[in-house]
Amino acid sequence: MIRGALTLFTFASVVFFPWPLTALFAVVSSFFIPLLPFAVGMFADTLYYSPQAGTVPLFTLYGAIVTGATILVRRRLRAGIIEG
Amino acid sequence: MKKTFLARRNGLLSPADLSWGVFTLGCALIVLLMRVLAPNFFWKAFTPVFRTADALASQSHTLFSSFRNARALTAENEQLANENVAFATENQTLLRKVADLEALFTPSSPEVSSGILAGVVARPPESPYDTLVLAAGTNAGVTTGMEAFGAGGVPLGIVSSVLADFSRVTLLSSPNVTFVGWVGSSGLPLTITGAGAGAMNATIARSASVTVGDTVFAPGPGMLMIGKIVRVDSDPSVPGVTLRIQPVSNPFSVAWVVLRNTGTLFSITATSTP
Repeated sequence: MIRGALTLFTFASVVFFPWPLTALFAVVSSFFIPLLPFAVGMFADTLYYSPQAGTVPLFTLYGAIVTGATILVRRRLRAGIIEG
Repeated sequence: MKKTFLARRNGLLSPADLSWGVFTLGCALIVLLMRVLAPNFFWKAFTPVFRTADALASQSHTLFSSFRNARALTAENEQLANENVAFATENQTLLRKVADLEALFTPSSPEVSSGILAGVVARPPESPYDTLVLAAGTNAGVTTGMEAFGAGGVPLGIVSSVLADFSRVTLLSSPNVTFVGWVGSSGLPLTITGAGAGAMNATIARSASVTVGDTVFAPGPGMLMIGKIVRVDSDPSVPGVTLRIQPVSNPFSVAWVVLRNTGTLFSITATSTP
């Protein structure tokens, strides 16, 4: 439920809110859905990227970086528990 | 004997994370494919969404404005009304002067194109990409290379790609855009480059007496005001100073533009896919 709401809200914020708020939502959501920042970055570039305005699709790039960082952090945090 | 084992920790993502991640990525990919394969349909589908976003932004602005002090609002309103009257009077005077000069220098005045009025469908909310998507394309007579002018004839950018019903304008503040302009009342020439997020930069010799508040002009039909200098950055190791230019009209709040083919502003690389 919370994953669905976060996904919907983050995607909607790309169109309805300024990008810093979208970035905040994406970073917060990444703790629940690590691939979401990458997907949202791709969606933002689909809407706004123009080859004349920049050579690199920045939103996708930043999304991929956040996704990569989140996966690494989660891997570190999810320590193995010795069960008896 | 008790068995001791390590819980599984090799997976980077749990099945739930992965399924939601794949779902979101799939959604983003579908939208991307739609834009690449059917760009005209894509913009037609998303135009109502952007219109809703605009309406929402406008209503929220009105709501927040209503919380402001009524006395301050009345004073501001009165000041703006006075300024409006002053500008209208000045405009009339200038129009008369222009008409006199045209009659003096061009006996048979050439036909002036009124341009194509186009509504703005999408504008990045102060994103790194300074572009506008317009609801006018080849069907309305738009071609690549046309200049876009905002309210008051302020040059905003150039049409960089066109579809059947939509076109994209790359703003003057876009990072890849460079053009020649002038600064100050003496009209010092300088090369202006887009800095993104609506701002522009220019470098000029330290000896040039340019100060904060000086007006910056771009070529168009004559010299057209595009912005003002808001900061002058000086580095002792560099012979020149860097001028930070703020546009006279916020490109991220324009609702419509006029497209004209004057051929004087600047040229950028244009492609056919917006």
